[in-house]
Amino acid sequence: MGKGKNYKRAGFIQKTILDTVSLFKETICNEKIAFQNGFLQNVDPRAKSFCAAIMLIVVLTARSSVEVGLIYAVTVLLASISSIRLSFYLKRTLLFVPLFSFLIIIPSIFNFVTPGEPVLQLTFLKLHFAITRQGIDSAILFFLRVLSSVSIVILLVLTTPSHTLLKVLRLFRVPQLFVMTIGMTYRYIFLLLDNIQNTYSAIKSRIGFVNSTGKGRKIVGATIAGLWLKSYRLQSQVYNAMISRGYTGEPKIMDELKIGRTDIIIIIFTILSLAGTLCLNHFLY
Amino acid sequence: MSEPLFILNQVSFSYNKIPALKNVNLTINCGECISIIGANGTGKSTLLNLLDALIFPTGGTVTAFGSLLTEKELNNFEKQRMFRRRVGFVFQNPDIQLFCPTVRDDILFGVLHLEVEKREIEKRFEHVVELMKITHLLKRSPHQLSIGEKKKAAIASVLIIEPDVLLLDEPTAGLDPQTTRDIIDILFKAHRNGKTVVMATHDLHLAEEISDTVHVFGSEHNIIRSGTVEEVLSDQQFLQKNNLMHIHVHRHLHGAHIHPHIHH
Repeated sequence: MGKGKNYKRAGFIQKTILDTVSLFKETICNEKIAFQNGFLQNVDPRAKSFCAAIMLIVVLTARSSVEVGLIYAVTVLLASISSIRLSFYLKRTLLFVPLFSFLIIIPSIFNFVTPGEPVLQLTFLKLHFAITRQGIDSAILFFLRVLSSVSIVILLVLTTPSHTLLKVLRLFRVPQLFVMTIGMTYRYIFLLLDNIQNTYSAIKSRIGFVNSTGKGRKIVGATIAGLWLKSYRLQSQVYNAMISRGYTGEPKIMDELKIGRTDIIIIIFTILSLAGTLCLNHFLY
Repeated sequence: MSEPLFILNQVSFSYNKIPALKNVNLTINCGECISIIGANGTGKSTLLNLLDALIFPTGGTVTAFGSLLTEKELNNFEKQRMFRRRVGFVFQNPDIQLFCPTVRDDILFGVLHLEVEKREIEKRFEHVVELMKITHLLKRSPHQLSIGEKKKAAIASVLIIEPDVLLLDEPTAGLDPQTTRDIIDILFKAHRNGKTVVMATHDLHLAEEISDTVHVFGSEHNIIRSGTVEEVLSDQQFLQKNNLMHIHVHRHLHGAHIHPHIHH
């Protein structure tokens, strides 16, 4: 029994470290989709980024849950015609988003945050409160807004190579220092992840599996300081390697960016969506 | 004879007051192939970092291509670009040199930033990929490669710049015999094509095979001996004293025995 318990604890630490590393590698570092041949991959990155920014405004200004829900449906459609596996896309949007947004929206469904027409009366420790229809509506709208916004950004990131995205940020006059920092972080994260994995393997090879959570925490705590120092050195080495090959902070790409007919149609459609949303807001609400 | 590419005059360098180089005098001429050898921690890598203007001396001067190499000098964008076009550095750890999403992007990184013309980039890219035999790796992410493949990609990312001076830090460390051979062949070719090669290595076999001149760094972080390969590497007593060679038991076909030798 005791052995089984210890085994589970050791497995927990190992699983947490290795799964975090693999999650980062899969979600941040995986650019396979960006190089596949799909609808969004063929759209000019500038047009794509511009439309994504406009669509984010649409999502934030829309006051109808149906409208925001429709936008999410469109992102699912776009994902499916852009060589993105639907299960992969839905998992990334539908599983992660509720995890964070639910914590924030739960209080807003009650009458002490959003007063209105009660749908369900509740009593807890002699306190009376209710879930309101307006609260539910605003929670649904908030959830859909978060879901659609995250989906738009995920679509953009998945279908655009990172260095092209950085170039586009510079074309949109995002300050060089900001773009440079993102670029450096992206490049350095690979090495940091490998470092974490190697540190864990080194601990495991010397002491076997950790048989108590407390001991595990102590080991992880002690290695964090060492890891930070290593990371700092690593970061300056990566920077030197970039400087050595002529890096000045300005991202450069090989492929020339060209705006085509499809890009223009997409831009017009996006602008019309924004105009439509603003009109709906003006006349209906 | 043409002007030396690099002249180091009484160069010293310290990392937080810990000396890494002390009063180093060195001249590097065009077309030379130089090996910098020495035990661990004697300052070989620091010297290469100085030659690539990634760090600057805390004492003495470095002259590169006829002008003084200082941080202020390289703050000039045009001068920095000219310098980077002429000097290429292959780091010891290929992981820090491969930071792009794919091998193709990594190879193109230098030439794109040094603003080489697009058609010229395409021509050089094809050539270097063929030379390094890495066509099958181009779409792969660098972190998925073996150490030998990473090293080849790192060398390709520097060779595409077509620098006059090639700096290499332990180019064959940790590689299997075939990859080591491939890299020696590439360095041979580069040297034959007129490149100046400066490499820091522990591999005396590599130094013996391709370099003309050897500089030996001692425990005091200075050059304790310079000379031709034959001259330096034949002095077994000197090499042994400076941790570059050792006596040990090793196995031959008909048994084991002890004698000092250079590893081949």
